[in-house]
Amino acid sequence: MEEMPEKIEIRQKFPSWREMLKPVKEFEEGRLSYISLPKQVDSEFFKMPFGDVERDFDDLKLPENWKEIFLDALKETLEKNRSFKLFMDICVRCGACADKCHYYIGTGDPKNMPVARAELLRSIYRRYFTPAGKLFGEWAGARELTEDVLKELYYYFNQCSLCRRCSLFCPYGIDTAEIVWWVRRILSRIGLNQRFMTISIEASSRTGNHLGLLPGGMYGAIQQGLEELKDYTGLDLHTYINKKGADVLFVAPSADYFATPHWYVMLGYLLLFNELEEKYGLTITWSTYASEGGNFGTFHSYEAAQLLNSKIYKEAERLGVSFIIGGECGHMWRDKHQFINTMNQPPKHEEWKKFWENPDLGELAEGLRGIRFDNYASGEHGWIHILEFVAALLEHKKITVDKSRNDKWIATYHDPCNVARGMGLIEEPRYVLRNVMNHFYDMPEHTIKDKTYCCGAGGGMLADELMDLRMRGVMPRMMAVRHVYRKYGVNILLTPCAIDKAQFPPALEYWKIPIEVGGPMEMVGNALVMTAFGEKPEDRQFDLRGEPLREEEGEEGE
Amino acid sequence: MIGVIFGVIVPYIAVAIFVVGVVYRIVNWANSPVPLKIPTTGGQQKSLPFIKRTVYDHFDSPYTWWETAGRMLLEIFLFRSLLKNTRYYLDRVSQKDARWLWLFGILFHYSLLLVLIRHSRFFLDPVPSFVEQLSDIESFKGVFIPSVYISGLAIVVALFLLWFRRIFLSRERTLSLPSDHFALILLLAITISGNLMRYFFKADLFAVKELLMSLMSFNISHAVEVAETIEPIFYVHFALASFLLAYFPFSKLMHAGGVLFSPTRNMPNDNRARRHVNPWDPGDVPLLAKGITVAGRTYKSKKLDWDTYYEMYKDQLQEIEEADYKIVPEEL
Ligand code: HEM
Ligand code: SF4
Ligand code: SF4
Repeated sequence: MEEMPEKIEIRQKFPSWREMLKPVKEFEEGRLSYISLPKQVDSEFFKMPFGDVERDFDDLKLPENWKEIFLDALKETLEKNRSFKLFMDICVRCGACADKCHYYIGTGDPKNMPVARAELLRSIYRRYFTPAGKLFGEWAGARELTEDVLKELYYYFNQCSLCRRCSLFCPYGIDTAEIVWWVRRILSRIGLNQRFMTISIEASSRTGNHLGLLPGGMYGAIQQGLEELKDYTGLDLHTYINKKGADVLFVAPSADYFATPHWYVMLGYLLLFNELEEKYGLTITWSTYASEGGNFGTFHSYEAAQLLNSKIYKEAERLGVSFIIGGECGHMWRDKHQFINTMNQPPKHEEWKKFWENPDLGELAEGLRGIRFDNYASGEHGWIHILEFVAALLEHKKITVDKSRNDKWIATYHDPCNVARGMGLIEEPRYVLRNVMNHFYDMPEHTIKDKTYCCGAGGGMLADELMDLRMRGVMPRMMAVRHVYRKYGVNILLTPCAIDKAQFPPALEYWKIPIEVGGPMEMVGNALVMTAFGEKPEDRQFDLRGEPLREEEGEEGE
Repeated sequence: MIGVIFGVIVPYIAVAIFVVGVVYRIVNWANSPVPLKIPTTGGQQKSLPFIKRTVYDHFDSPYTWWETAGRMLLEIFLFRSLLKNTRYYLDRVSQKDARWLWLFGILFHYSLLLVLIRHSRFFLDPVPSFVEQLSDIESFKGVFIPSVYISGLAIVVALFLLWFRRIFLSRERTLSLPSDHFALILLLAITISGNLMRYFFKADLFAVKELLMSLMSFNISHAVEVAETIEPIFYVHFALASFLLAYFPFSKLMHAGGVLFSPTRNMPNDNRARRHVNPWDPGDVPLLAKGITVAGRTYKSKKLDWDTYYEMYKDQLQEIEEADYKIVPEEL
């Protein structure tokens, strides 16, 4: 992180309303996203309008009639989407959302206030679509669409992580993330796409996952996980991939196959699946085709999201599984909870239908009878979160855990925005953590659960060129972490989100909080006693990081 | 002349604009499709039976129709989301509540509600008894003569407080457009003129009621007759109110209707139990694979279905087949 200065200054500015209507001309280093290249948006598998031109920010090379296209797309969006239309109309500019945005807090840039971000577009909406704006122009808060305004739109609508914190506090539930999402879609119609997200979208549309892993690569990665587990536990484990007739399809974000600390979570999954198969006969398979749980399309547009998530139900159908379990990932669950079964037809094959008629795990594996999902899920959707699944296993005493194996960790839990505010998965992870470890402390109440602060890198903001934005955006979260670090001696920050796991290590380093990052499933993997393999609680010598579970005596003093 | 213009013509036009405008806006919203079910969840979802939900969770992350209705009612009558408001301080993790906006907002809207209810005595004959009772209660009947209606004064105070926010708080000043100040000034003008009329420059309220009743029964000749007899101060108030009505549908004041339509609030968090259907996309084939058309050109992305995928990566997939879809650690 050479590019980040040691000290940052938050310069708050409060320009007049007229000033706010003028497009900014200066774009801060570290906050401006690169524009996509043709290889990302003019690919066979992901073709965006006017994607064949190489652009840079100084020379947008816009199509000739870009203004018309933009306004047409805006009109279409207004007609197609009640929330967008309503949000354009009813904001009273009360300011309740203003200081809820971590990017505003971290940058002090007035146009990063959620309401101001939305106003960037609302002013154009007023100018071209409302009588007041047409008549009174600037005095009605309206402005012309010019190339400078367009640049400003690109700049600020790519400084939002779609975290929806603003929406929680708005008296009308105005969801700036929703507006941003649709504006990015409009921008993509005139050839302006953000490079970071389209790299992954393109890769996923061509290979099935963001990393562009081919089937052999994924196979090899999982195999390496099994080898490591053999070293750490001494057990001979296996897993399935692309297996027809398995009971369950498991879908994880692809970062789990390679990145650290995601990797430890991956090992946790593998341990759990083996225990369940050996003990109860429940078979869980991975898929190379549905190899990505995450969906960067959800950062870009409805259509891109659909392009990527359309594979998974198809694969469930092809493999004939009964339901799907999804791994640790934040935006994945906004997609898999709120989008996927609207954007696609849910599976209709026999096994699926039969299971969801009576969704009791006992139908698949007798020993697991009693764990049911019909309280909140149905065959019209069919996804269960891995932590819900583990919570149920723990509650029904189907797995054995030894909490003391996690005794070296004093943990706190970060609620990923999408999981908290787009789904409501709040207590399940805490339930799991309290059951698999002894030391768990929450951060201050106003920074967690539904009010959780974003990691500052979601929504496509994990790009390297946005380091300044990222390190500033993560500040509120880091201050809360530092608080529990000082108060309770917390030494690990757990989060079930792949983007968090990539963002937090540099962020903790930058904000000088010397603690580790991990995922809840890593703790589950540590604590899980592989009873079906004859493992005793005290047998395990290493944790999933390959470090000795218990400090050797005498070593401590050295 | 003043009487005819501001007592008859202007109010008719204003009401017509108001009704047509508001109905148009509402119908327009109601007819817009809702492509996705995207509630903002503010609490624990309904999930496995042993995961407990608090009372708040039922409303903040509603699952049933009733819970969702509860959430909406709490928003409308208690401004629940505003009640959650906090302020961020750069220099500390703790938080200090900043619910002034909520307080001022509630003060303003409830005063407005009371004032409107009291105004109904000009439109209704006989006056419903609860209107009388309400007026009696809030004026502490008999304490002051003439009666002092608390809501009428409170609304002025609340409006000033709301306006001061916009003038003195730097963030809010930056955010406020002229139209935001305008709405507050207009309401202030209406409420102040109303109070002035009530306590200082008395107008003939019986005549006012007669005017309104005949306007409502379209007895125009009688309305014109009565209108000429009423004092000018009344027309200041009445003209401003008419203007507000006409302005309403074009302004942010439409939030009064819009709040009911907000998809992040009025939809249950039951995505996994019930599929939401997008009216403009059946979800059979990805839209990008069908192709999107921009400026006359269609851009079509190739769909990576299983067969395409298999063709592309056949060698590697066959190796997996040969391993019988099973991964085991490599023998070293
Ligand atoms: C269902 C009815 C209504 C609801 C739920 C509602 C709710 C709200 C809320 C939550 C706010 C933001 C907080 C605040 O600034 O006070 C607000 C602001 C406002 N409302 Fe309403 N409102 C309703 C009806 C009305 C009506 C009928 C009017 C006026 C004729 C009105 C005038 C205003 C004004 C002027 C503001 C802005 C205050 C400011 O600029 O600071 N509201 N409303
Ligand atoms: S909280 Fe809602 S109504 Fe208030 S300024 Fe923000 S978006 Fe607008
Ligand atoms: S969604 Fe999050 S990042 Fe975007 S404007 Fe709202 S608070 Fe800021």
